[in-house]
Amino acid sequence: MIYAQLLFIAGFIYGIRLMASPRTAVAGNILGAVSMLGAILVTLAAEGIISAALLWAGLALGTLLGIYLAYKVLMIQMPQMVALLNGFGGGASALVALLAVLDPAALNPFTSLTTGLAITVGGVTLSGSLVAAAKLHGLLPQRPVHYRCHNQLTWLSIAALAAGTLFLVFFPAFSGSAALALTALALFFGYIFTIRVGGADMPITISLLNSFSGVAGAAAGFALHNTLLVTVGAVVGASGLILTQIMCRAMNRSLMQILLGRTTVAGQKPQPELRTAVKEYPPAETPGEKNRECIQALRRAEKIVIIPGYGLALAQAQRELKQLADLLSRRGKEVRYGIHPVAGRMPGHLNVLLAEVDVPYEQLYELEEINEFLETADLALIIGANDVVNPAAMEAEDTPIYGMPIIRADLAPKIVICNFDTKPGYAGVENRLYDLEKTLLLLGDAQDTLSGLLTAWEEKEPRRENRPAEILAQARRVVIVPGYGMALAQAQGEVKRLIETLQKRGVIVQIAVHPVAGRMPGHMNVLMAEADIPYDLMFEMDQINDEFKDVDVVVVVGANDVINPAAVTEKDTPIYGMPILHVDQARHVLIFNLDRAPGYSGVPNTLYDAEHCLFVPGDAAGTVSALAQSLQASS
Amino acid sequence: MSELYLIAAFAAAGLLGYKLISEVPSLLHTPLMSGMNALSGITVLGALVSTAAAAAAGSKALGFAAIVLAVINVVAGFLVTHRMLKMFKSEHKEGLK
Repeated sequence: MIYAQLLFIAGFIYGIRLMASPRTAVAGNILGAVSMLGAILVTLAAEGIISAALLWAGLALGTLLGIYLAYKVLMIQMPQMVALLNGFGGGASALVALLAVLDPAALNPFTSLTTGLAITVGGVTLSGSLVAAAKLHGLLPQRPVHYRCHNQLTWLSIAALAAGTLFLVFFPAFSGSAALALTALALFFGYIFTIRVGGADMPITISLLNSFSGVAGAAAGFALHNTLLVTVGAVVGASGLILTQIMCRAMNRSLMQILLGRTTVAGQKPQPELRTAVKEYPPAETPGEKNRECIQALRRAEKIVIIPGYGLALAQAQRELKQLADLLSRRGKEVRYGIHPVAGRMPGHLNVLLAEVDVPYEQLYELEEINEFLETADLALIIGANDVVNPAAMEAEDTPIYGMPIIRADLAPKIVICNFDTKPGYAGVENRLYDLEKTLLLLGDAQDTLSGLLTAWEEKEPRRENRPAEILAQARRVVIVPGYGMALAQAQGEVKRLIETLQKRGVIVQIAVHPVAGRMPGHMNVLMAEADIPYDLMFEMDQINDEFKDVDVVVVVGANDVINPAAVTEKDTPIYGMPILHVDQARHVLIFNLDRAPGYSGVPNTLYDAEHCLFVPGDAAGTVSALAQSLQASS
Repeated sequence: MSELYLIAAFAAAGLLGYKLISEVPSLLHTPLMSGMNALSGITVLGALVSTAAAAAAGSKALGFAAIVLAVINVVAGFLVTHRMLKMFKSEHKEGLK
């Protein structure tokens, strides 16, 4: 028996060790389950109770209910699930202890003391966890509920629980009734303890109750002299303790504050009122403009940090977020998620929710790692998070969150915030990130915001990629204007392919060469000849300039100043008076330039904004070959 | 079994558990907690023994309830942990698919 016990303990411990990495954690969990099954069977056999029908009935019923619960629960409901199981664990241990008292075989002071402890801790865990689960599930109000003399009641209950436990030790004769009274008292205390914990403090409360459920099991183990119960209970107790510490540190709360119900929300004076009233967000910008601005910012950024909060889970926008992140990664951007320890309603909650939508865990970073990355990141995308990115935690000494570690979104040169509103978070502290110049606010339900953003992006994309092909497909006469940018992008081959594709469709193709296109006179002609483009397609400026009004589409590849109408219209620019190719007279102009930046002259190209002009940014080799391809596909 | 031995086991397991669990990344804290739920169901061992030993019908009923609650913890705890852990996928693995 003792060897079997040691084996199972080793199994549990090694299983926990395997939990240190997501690669091995599944095996660790299975090892734990196998050890548990073994422990149950060995206990039944060793105690000679393996044939007791009542026990098997209990095991079967519990198994069925357990399977049902485990497969019914949604990932967002995991906090209430864990809370409920905390309660069951504590309750079971309290019942076991109660049995020990009601059937008093041999009560000595040690067993009486540990029985009292098991009943106390188990009872508190049971009722406290049920209240916590009900709050998380929305069956009870999330806000802290305060009763009159709540603090006095708390201290009185603690004193009574201690007295009751001691009574069990010193008056074993009355142990039965005393144990029942103690149970009632423990249940009462668990209730008044959790009823005034607010929703935001739930991660701490659940962690603490998790620890309690282990302690109750260990106490029951002491009462029954069962080594497995004692050791495994101790491990569970230690685990909950660690998590409680981590949560307290991450939320800047002390355990005593939680125990005494000093909830941040309740203690907050309405000081931000004035500023909220003054600060009005101008409704001038339409959602469309906002989306465009946001897409532009995301496009420009190379390193992007996504900071999700519980708001993301509430809006159930994980899938949309993943789509956006995929879109960004496909564009070669580096996307990382920064997960604050208290993001969500329990430790690690958001990690699970993101894993559920197949976000690879390598992209999920802890607070310190992500803060390092944020120092060089280009953009922080905050979704449904508030307090955990609030710089007041570093600056405002008189706020409850002062000293709390935060994710340093403020370090990013650009911030996009998708939150429901601009109201302060649970801590009640105004967030100055909202007011920053570099911050872009997309308010509303995160799911709507993100899917709006995705639609806006997708609407924009095909237009960029397919509209040029559609326009070209209608054309009968096309003029191509190559510039030095084409040579830089080494896109001559692609241009040649485009020409051939057009010619196959019966389109008249000409190439217009400006005298200064290229780095020396006639340079462009040489480059085109090198790509085997027949020279009889090439026309000089004077030959072709009068004909642009009869041209359906002009395709500009890497040319800028030589087609800039500012040379004709803008008197005070350096290029005024320079002869240009009058491509603006054509019906459509497609421009394949790297970006919208001005050319060598530094004069912005007024053609880019013209209605009949379509600008396709990017490396010409890529964009032109995409155009040729979609044109081929459409024919 | 001496009480001192139990206290020593409690302290040793607590310390070892503390050390090992400190190494679990916050990535896996939720599955860790549900896994601990399953482990806290270890009390089922006590419930089985006590229920079998119980004479009075009331005690047997209490014991039955204790078994059911503890087994729910064991089964739901391990299963839900398994469900969650299976969801954590690596980029690299996905690349191979």
